[in-house]
Amino acid sequence: MIDPLVASSKLSSSGLEAQSARLRVISENVANAQSTGRTPGSDPYTRKTITFKSELDRTLGAASVAVKDVGQDDSAFPVEYDPGNPAADENGMVKKPNVNMLIEMADMREANRSYQANLQMMKQARAMISATIDLMRG
Amino acid sequence: MTAPVYLFDLASRQAQWLAARQTTISGNVANANTPGYRARDVEPFADVLDKTKLNMAATNASHIGFTPSKAEASKVKKADSWDTVYSKNSVSLEQELIKAGEVNRQHSLNTSIVKSFHRMLMSSVRTS
Repeated sequence: MIDPLVASSKLSSSGLEAQSARLRVISENVANAQSTGRTPGSDPYTRKTITFKSELDRTLGAASVAVKDVGQDDSAFPVEYDPGNPAADENGMVKKPNVNMLIEMADMREANRSYQANLQMMKQARAMISATIDLMRG
Repeated sequence: MTAPVYLFDLASRQAQWLAARQTTISGNVANANTPGYRARDVEPFADVLDKTKLNMAATNASHIGFTPSKAEASKVKKADSWDTVYSKNSVSLEQELIKAGEVNRQHSLNTSIVKSFHRMLMSSVRTS
């Protein structure tokens, strides 16, 4: 069992790590929002999803967070008429990635907010540790 | 004789409790987006004090020690949390940050009091 305030910083760092992994997945989705296939009728970029799991860290004695897995969104691809595209099928229809910009932006804001909250907790734990150390300065 | 001053013992116990609470809140914030995670909180400090029992003496280094006044993290009841989202996560960031502010305030009060009492003691100990 380590010092609770150190444990607090470690928990916050696990949260920061998880949220930055989430941001990475979101930026991947946004970057590939227009990535279609190369061959006629082929599938475009599939939207990625990320899930977290809470795991009990025995040295900390508390539940930290970790990335469970990065999965794929199985929803249907929207199709668009674009005969000039290399991925167009015989009818001229192109499958577009199932990335919804609005959802990605909302997700990004939420990840950002959670990241800031974790950062705030880390700052506070540090402030508490230095307040305790300052007791020795008399 | 005056009554003994339990201030330092009390202050250190409250600091311990505050540290435990800070850890619990950090755990909640870290798991703010974990599906199925239920927000936790430690029991109030007054309850921890009430439950304090006599400690068993460890006469051998290999005995397992007991820390009597360690605040146990307990799950918050459903009604205590401000919101529960569809993924059954009951962490509300606003609520957690308010609790964290409370902990911070109490901790700075605690350290300030200890510091000023320490200064008082030192001024009475110092001679000449």
